[in-house]
Amino acid sequence: MSLPPKDHLSSTTSDSTKQSSTPSFLASFLQTIKDIFSDKGVLLLLLIAPIIYGFFYPWPYSTEVVNHVPVGIIDNDNSNLSRTIVRYASASPQLDTQLFLNEQQAKEAIWSDEIAGYMVIPSGLEQQVLSGKAASVSVLGNGGYFLLNKNVQMGFLKAVSTVSAGIEVKKNVAQGAYSATAAANTQAVPLVIVPLYNQTEGYGAYVVPAVSILILQQTLLIATAMLIGTWYEQRRHATSIRGWLGRIAALSMFSFIIGCFYYGWTFELHHYPRGQNMIGSLLFLLLFCPTVATLGCVLGLWFRQRERSMQILIFSSLPMFFVSGYPWPADQLPTVLQIIRWFIPTTPGINTSVQLNQMGASISQVSTGFYALAALWVFYFALLMWVRWHDTNKALKTVS
Amino acid sequence: MHPMKLSKAFLRSAAYERRFLTENPWDFSMVVWIPLATVLLIWWIFSQTQITDLPIGVIDQDNSPIANTAVRYLEASPTLTVRQLYYSEAEAKAAILQRDIYAIVIIPEDFSRHILSGKPAPLILQVNAQYGTHSGIIQTSVQAVAGTLSAGVEIQRLVKQGMAPSQAAIAYSPIGIQRISLFNAATDYQQFLASTVIPALLHILAMVIGATTIGRELRDKRLGHWYRFISTGHPDLTRITKNESTSGQILNAVENNQYLSKNDQISVSSHANEDMTESTNVLVLLFGLLGKYFWPTLAFSIWAMLALWLATPQESVAMSSVLATYAGLILLIMLSFWLGAVFTLGSFSLRMGLSATGFISAPSYAFAGVTFPYIAISDSARHWSDALPLTHYLKLHIAQLQMQAPVAVSLPIVYGLAIATTIAMTLTTLLTKRALAHPERWGAR
Repeated sequence: MSLPPKDHLSSTTSDSTKQSSTPSFLASFLQTIKDIFSDKGVLLLLLIAPIIYGFFYPWPYSTEVVNHVPVGIIDNDNSNLSRTIVRYASASPQLDTQLFLNEQQAKEAIWSDEIAGYMVIPSGLEQQVLSGKAASVSVLGNGGYFLLNKNVQMGFLKAVSTVSAGIEVKKNVAQGAYSATAAANTQAVPLVIVPLYNQTEGYGAYVVPAVSILILQQTLLIATAMLIGTWYEQRRHATSIRGWLGRIAALSMFSFIIGCFYYGWTFELHHYPRGQNMIGSLLFLLLFCPTVATLGCVLGLWFRQRERSMQILIFSSLPMFFVSGYPWPADQLPTVLQIIRWFIPTTPGINTSVQLNQMGASISQVSTGFYALAALWVFYFALLMWVRWHDTNKALKTVS
Repeated sequence: MHPMKLSKAFLRSAAYERRFLTENPWDFSMVVWIPLATVLLIWWIFSQTQITDLPIGVIDQDNSPIANTAVRYLEASPTLTVRQLYYSEAEAKAAILQRDIYAIVIIPEDFSRHILSGKPAPLILQVNAQYGTHSGIIQTSVQAVAGTLSAGVEIQRLVKQGMAPSQAAIAYSPIGIQRISLFNAATDYQQFLASTVIPALLHILAMVIGATTIGRELRDKRLGHWYRFISTGHPDLTRITKNESTSGQILNAVENNQYLSKNDQISVSSHANEDMTESTNVLVLLFGLLGKYFWPTLAFSIWAMLALWLATPQESVAMSSVLATYAGLILLIMLSFWLGAVFTLGSFSLRMGLSATGFISAPSYAFAGVTFPYIAISDSARHWSDALPLTHYLKLHIAQLQMQAPVAVSLPIVYGLAIATTIAMTLTTLLTKRALAHPERWGAR
């Protein structure tokens, strides 16, 4: 690590004279691969970091579904009915119940993160139910944590509804209804939910396939800008149009391989939905990786320094993810952002990849994504050529 | 140690850093413009605090008045919008695959017949569960619509049997449930996501600055110069004439990796070596480092204030809670500076320091237990989560600003962050001392 690629720097600067002759696509492709393998920093970012992330990022989500959320119950009624409710709640797989004496205690437990919510059974509940008066229990979830709150509410709702339905059934039967229909009657319009694609509704299966495309982009972007920035310092950055294409091809190749590793190995390992449209997914990578690499080249020429790409780009992952339209619906974004976000490859990239690989859309169904990526590639390449033209002009001026 | 000498070291170092920042727009941006833009951008992203009008499709195979009512209820739900009625499942599936809609509600053929004959008449919701946020909201909303329909049907049936409407409502559901969301009751995403993502990003940016501020001295082999200047004031690195400084600039950024010529380097290294091994004073070093990080600390204490001002909800949060959170955020940021420095000095390389910074800080929000709850994080990953300062800060942030917990509940976290910051600061000082003693390892890229 500590050894600077010093000798390599000086030796390569000496052949920079050769580079004024226009290199072919293949020569530039091979030279770039050689340079990547002799530069530990670039290799670490381009190849090793995304592999480590492939294991690291899914790690917290390996339980996938949130169960046994610790909750509290305050039973102020202490009747047969309230004890039945407590029993049903504690039998729920979603909840892990514990009793508290009063609300203050329960609140303190929420503040210290011991429980995620609690239910209050008011005194006189049984009395009211038996006399046919309106009665209710209160469920208090912690709005500070969305996913937990949903679990607390649903867990208690199910337990109380079951007990409540039992009372209703008993009354209906007493009133002469058939008990079979009475039991079925508890919900006149039940909702049958069919989760598509991510059928287990796992959190990792939802978030990781999208984040891996973001990881692919960020590692390729930073590594490319680092390599080009290093070449800029060494005055080796200038090359022909074919030379640039060769560089882009070489850099994209590495991320293409990593993308295949994600699709074929990481998703498989964690049992995420995957490979629904494999050919489409590969075509996507074939377009996505060069687009990102081209943007990386432009940024490298702008940053002009080896370490700057990391310095500037590390923080950008989170904002880019939030404007991609995946975790947060894009039409909820302010209008200006809805336009700006299309300049980032992950904006069409994440959705297109998920639609192809997780959902199994056909290529024509994601054509917008493909067109957007192609347009971005053309745009970035035009930018790159403009910078190149600008640079050579300046060089000519200084010579003359 | 003479206090004068320490304050001089601090002031000289701060002046040195001021000059650097004013001459290097990229580094200046990292301290000022980028964090400011980031805070505002995140707040802006979530400026529409509620998710509304998620597009869904309906297949109505029943075409009865009751089915129409169901569609009307779906349309009336603020979180949903019925984009289109579809006539075949294939058509609707294609629309889901193209992401025109995120779910289909199917009203089966015999829907009204079942209702009229008193049998359960299910609605079918096919939802794109791959899009977790969308799916969760759609499920809750459609469930609510089904509940409303059920209650209407049931109560009507009981009324038909001769029960008074008020009594029917009770008979339908003997035990009602009052669902109360304590804190953030309006499920406001700006409160939930934006207010927690901003500290996460400040943490990332602060670690990057922590790494670069000391790392660039290592990379440019100027660490010895810097120390000699802060301890003796010679040569004066803040008062180079404009000409010299700009030529130095070009030499720095453009020409041959901003290095001095070979001969110079050797003389500097040997110089540095003599100086450092004999007389590196830890306290002077500490005050010099504090001076070096003075500007980022100042800037970030303003950004932290802005972040908390945005994150404090309208209803009054106790002043003491805001102060405790602010103390926590400042400590998190300072800790981040020192941690970035520790990773850089530990590896003798700015690049490695930044790599470690990226690896630790960039995914830390995923491990912090906000979007995916802490208690659900797998046991092994929880150790990593516990080791991240962000996890602890966000616990404090949510408890104080959103749950209105008494300050005493969160004070242990403030103390913990303070201890961690002190340790990281001490470690940075000692590692800088070590770095000064090894000039042969400077200049790694």
